[in-house]
Amino acid sequence: MTALPWGRRYLMCPPEHFGVVYEINPWMHREVVVDRDRAYEQWNGLVAALRSAGAQIEMLDPHPDLPDLVFTANAGIVNGTQFVPARFRHPERQGETPWDVQWFTSNGFTVDELPDGVSHEGAGDALPFNGTLVSGYRFRSDAASHAYLSRLTGAPVRSVELVDERLYHLDLTFCPLDDQRAIVAPSGWDSYARRVLEALVPEAIVLGDDDALAFTANSVVVGTNVVMPSCPPEVGRQLEAWGFDVAVCDVSEFLKAGGGCRCLTLALDVTLG
Amino acid sequence: MASEVIEVEGHIIDSLILAKVLDVILAAGADYQVLDVDIGKTNADTSRVQLEVRAGDDDALTTLLTELQVHGANRVHVTDAELVVADRDGVLPPGFYSTTNLPTAVRIEGHWVDCENPEMDCGLLVTSGNRVRTAPMHKVRAGDRFVVGSEGVRVTPLERPRGANPFEFMASEVSSEKPKGLLVADVAHRIRLAKDAGGKVLAVCGPAVIHTGAGPDVARLVEGGWIDVLFAGNGFATHDIESNVLGTSLGISVQEGIGTEGGHSNHLRVINEVRRYGSIAAAVEAGYVDGGVMYECVRRGVPFVLGGSVRDDGPLPDVYPNVVEAADAMRYLLPGVTVALMLASTLHAIATGNLLPAGVETFCVDINQAVVTKLADRGSHQALGIVTDVGLFTRDLCDQLLTS
Repeated sequence: MTALPWGRRYLMCPPEHFGVVYEINPWMHREVVVDRDRAYEQWNGLVAALRSAGAQIEMLDPHPDLPDLVFTANAGIVNGTQFVPARFRHPERQGETPWDVQWFTSNGFTVDELPDGVSHEGAGDALPFNGTLVSGYRFRSDAASHAYLSRLTGAPVRSVELVDERLYHLDLTFCPLDDQRAIVAPSGWDSYARRVLEALVPEAIVLGDDDALAFTANSVVVGTNVVMPSCPPEVGRQLEAWGFDVAVCDVSEFLKAGGGCRCLTLALDVTLG
Repeated sequence: MASEVIEVEGHIIDSLILAKVLDVILAAGADYQVLDVDIGKTNADTSRVQLEVRAGDDDALTTLLTELQVHGANRVHVTDAELVVADRDGVLPPGFYSTTNLPTAVRIEGHWVDCENPEMDCGLLVTSGNRVRTAPMHKVRAGDRFVVGSEGVRVTPLERPRGANPFEFMASEVSSEKPKGLLVADVAHRIRLAKDAGGKVLAVCGPAVIHTGAGPDVARLVEGGWIDVLFAGNGFATHDIESNVLGTSLGISVQEGIGTEGGHSNHLRVINEVRRYGSIAAAVEAGYVDGGVMYECVRRGVPFVLGGSVRDDGPLPDVYPNVVEAADAMRYLLPGVTVALMLASTLHAIATGNLLPAGVETFCVDINQAVVTKLADRGSHQALGIVTDVGLFTRDLCDQLLTS
């Protein structure tokens, strides 16, 4: 068992302008009011939890017109010093890309873009696991983007069709723990993807529907520390048995927009291929 | 039937995407043919597969393509064929698409349109109603639209027939060392199948058919309704009539196989008499010709084309002295033909082979292996060569077809 070689340096964006101002997933309802102070408090709690787990946090400046900028996981895909910016499906989020690109270029990254006409929502739909890049498609990312992604990064891609609109990004159904283990929510995948991941992941904590919908898989792993939006007892027991330390972080204000701990972070120390 | 070419690329094997795409196609009641495959050599390499997807109609295809797009399988970027107007009669536009005899489709205004009459070595004419036909050079008229280049043209190779049938011995498999009895039985079976399916049988006959004494057998096949179209030359028709009127073929007694007094001029006298009547049909009508292949053709209304050549004596009044007109007359009779029997004919068989679409089952019977391979070498890959004496072959075939 080898710990994840990535996950010790993250990009995050303070929730200064966070709110539910449009609806682009089943969790978002404009009539639901976000308590911004509480959101800030929760976000600070997450930053503190990650730091105490040993992670280093970089900050992306918030932007008044981009409420979802806080979900940095969707900014793009990091591969060493290469950054492949997302191509958002919804126009509501497309304005984030130039802002993200600006940060990455001024921080020494080379930017390689996906072609026009294909969508891919960054690390939200692509997580490295044991030498491959597992990437989701259907709701936010196009399957056709995977071949381009592989060509740009050199990573072998395993395509996973997502079938539950409530679990619209891969990172709501899949959380790599180390090179052999992962938290998985197979109810979010089609039968082909289940077979692919069953073959890929030797040992898995399998989430039931309720736990998956509580965003349990949307967790951040820093070495042997797992920072989770929720942790059902049997999941916690298994994680502890495997030697992980669990920290639960309340991010309920962000769940109103369909995002958990992982969605609020983008790992900057990933090397693919 | 509507079809489209799609491509899917990526780690489609390990991700089971290819398996899923194929399953989705079949589950939709559609069908596919793999056109091109490029499998990655290692698990890091991507793979690429090009498929032709065929669905019942345009609507079903569109629905299926939309579903396939979700899994990353997109239409191959195909443009419409480029059409150029011919600027003078009898001349194709520069860069014209030169046809094969295989099923061919042309993409026009986003739709694949099948060519109605595949024929090799022609241009592809697109009518004002966007129908596609092959047109030989001499048929080109100024103002006609022709396909140029190969963009937007799709040719479908013939699938090798599966199972036990004579076409397992296809093409280059010409051999004199095959059991002829079995081959004849197979040919008879294929002819029966073709007739049962409403197809027409074409016979292309050379003069050796008459010389070897097979004339009466071919006549019986015509009489029995097994031959629907006949192509031959001046020689075959002349010797057929000569053998029935004077009992000789090129002066040799068909019964005794020996020369006859003054026999060398028999065929000329026969030609001369038929010319006096004005046509073979008139000679039959007048009772001058009272048997043989040409007689049965006239009697049963089986259409025939006699193509002329520079060596012809006479020729008979029915012979087309202009070979371009002869080929056009042959083209006119080809629709509906599904089996072609080439009997001891070199030039007419090859000329016919040039006109036939690839799907027509062609049996080429000749004592000379070179003739049989020549037909295949010239591009008629659908031809099964049978190296044997045409007289014996025809008698066997006749027995097979007429005694059941």
